[in-house]
Amino acid sequence: MTVRLTMVAMLWTCVSGVASAQTRPDLSGYWELTYLDSQHVPKAQLAARVTRAVLDAQAKKDAKAIRWCNILGMPAIMASPRPLDIRQTDRVLMIAAEINAATRYIYLNRPAHIGKDIFDPTTNGDSIGRWDGDSLVVDTVGFDPDKGVTAIPGGGFRTANSHLVERYRLINNGSMLSVTFTWDDRGVFRTPHTYEFRYARLPRDYEARLPLNCDPFDEGRTAFVTARP
Amino acid sequence: MNVTRYAVLAAIVLVLGGRGIAVAQRAAADGPGALEGGWVRLDTSGSGDFGGLTARFARAALTPEGAAKIKPQRDPDDVDPDNRPHKAGEPYIVTQGRCGGIGPGNSVEPNSAALFVIPTRDEVLIAREGPGGRHIYADGRDHPPLSRIVPNGAGHSTATWDNGDLVVDTIGLTEGAVTAGGWRTPETHLTERYHVADDGMHMRITFTWTDPKIYARPHSYAFEFERLPADSYAFENWCDSGDPLQRQSVVPPEQLP
Repeated sequence: MTVRLTMVAMLWTCVSGVASAQTRPDLSGYWELTYLDSQHVPKAQLAARVTRAVLDAQAKKDAKAIRWCNILGMPAIMASPRPLDIRQTDRVLMIAAEINAATRYIYLNRPAHIGKDIFDPTTNGDSIGRWDGDSLVVDTVGFDPDKGVTAIPGGGFRTANSHLVERYRLINNGSMLSVTFTWDDRGVFRTPHTYEFRYARLPRDYEARLPLNCDPFDEGRTAFVTARP
Repeated sequence: MNVTRYAVLAAIVLVLGGRGIAVAQRAAADGPGALEGGWVRLDTSGSGDFGGLTARFARAALTPEGAAKIKPQRDPDDVDPDNRPHKAGEPYIVTQGRCGGIGPGNSVEPNSAALFVIPTRDEVLIAREGPGGRHIYADGRDHPPLSRIVPNGAGHSTATWDNGDLVVDTIGLTEGAVTAGGWRTPETHLTERYHVADDGMHMRITFTWTDPKIYARPHSYAFEFERLPADSYAFENWCDSGDPLQRQSVVPPEQLP
């Protein structure tokens, strides 16, 4: 009896090991937002303290970041007009953009966030991911409220207290990547704000293009981005 | 009794078979698995400064045509000198404060920022702690014709795995200076060999520049790296061209009598 149990246990170990390795989808590839049908963004329910004046002040900060070609950060990087290069291993998922945004590092082998006493807030925050079935659930905190472009699709903006949960899931036989974003920040939203982007997988022979250039000392550009319409 | 025999036999088959699969997988995966992660460049010669890091490298052996190409290069961020003396304590601006371009595309040679290598089936992505990444195609594709490449700081890179080492071939680089007295044009081939030591904690990148028009023989040198600790993470470089402090100044000191 003991021998049979041992055999069963050994077989289960082998089979389950192979199965667990096979059930994790590989999100690696180049992904691009398609035409206007790729973004489902409802209007955010903003907290009462987020007045018109607060929104205007935040928009002014974002405009300054654009004017000076600052790195954009989250969530702007995920709305890039250029393809995102997503590369996944067992330990990390990286997202590199062809725009002026720092590469995102999503740690898949770390169960907890870096402590606040150690982590210096960044435009992308500290991201950790775990698999929930065929979905990759990414949890991010540690945002810098003053750097980059902070505007969140649908309304609102990221702050030092923002908590973002993303769910990455392949759909349409892997030809599309659905990413659902949920922002939770009581100082900004009355209820968690959720929206979804869908990215199309580009052909395997796609070649990354030169990054879009941004020159803060280009006077013509400066005049354009600072002009009142 | 029979059950026991079968059990032992099954166990042997499973263990040996499993080991066989594991060995085969390890042999195939060792290169990418060992290379993956964060690396930081080492000052192995104890030079203490960036110039010193490469001071002991063998100088490039140039052809006459190659030697004729060498010319001083100016940082585009430098402010034109006003060509007048400055009194002690009188600061003057020497850079515009322009933040760097996007990511490793600016250079195929790592600087002091950590380097993160992510090998996947089709591509090896190398990123630093800022925007962009270096996309190295490992799916067997060839370089496109040079006429289709816009020269840039990262060029066009393809890679193969050779006995666990990642071997990267790059063309299409912007014309300019190369470490230790070399020069490059878009036609110049750069071969990089990424070799991880058996301890898994150290890596060497050997750079070899080949161009019969420029080099009398291939120009080669190596950078050494140490793996970042397991609990480390990528920082995020911040630079704001709109911050006046980004513009670097020089303040002439008082001179001793």
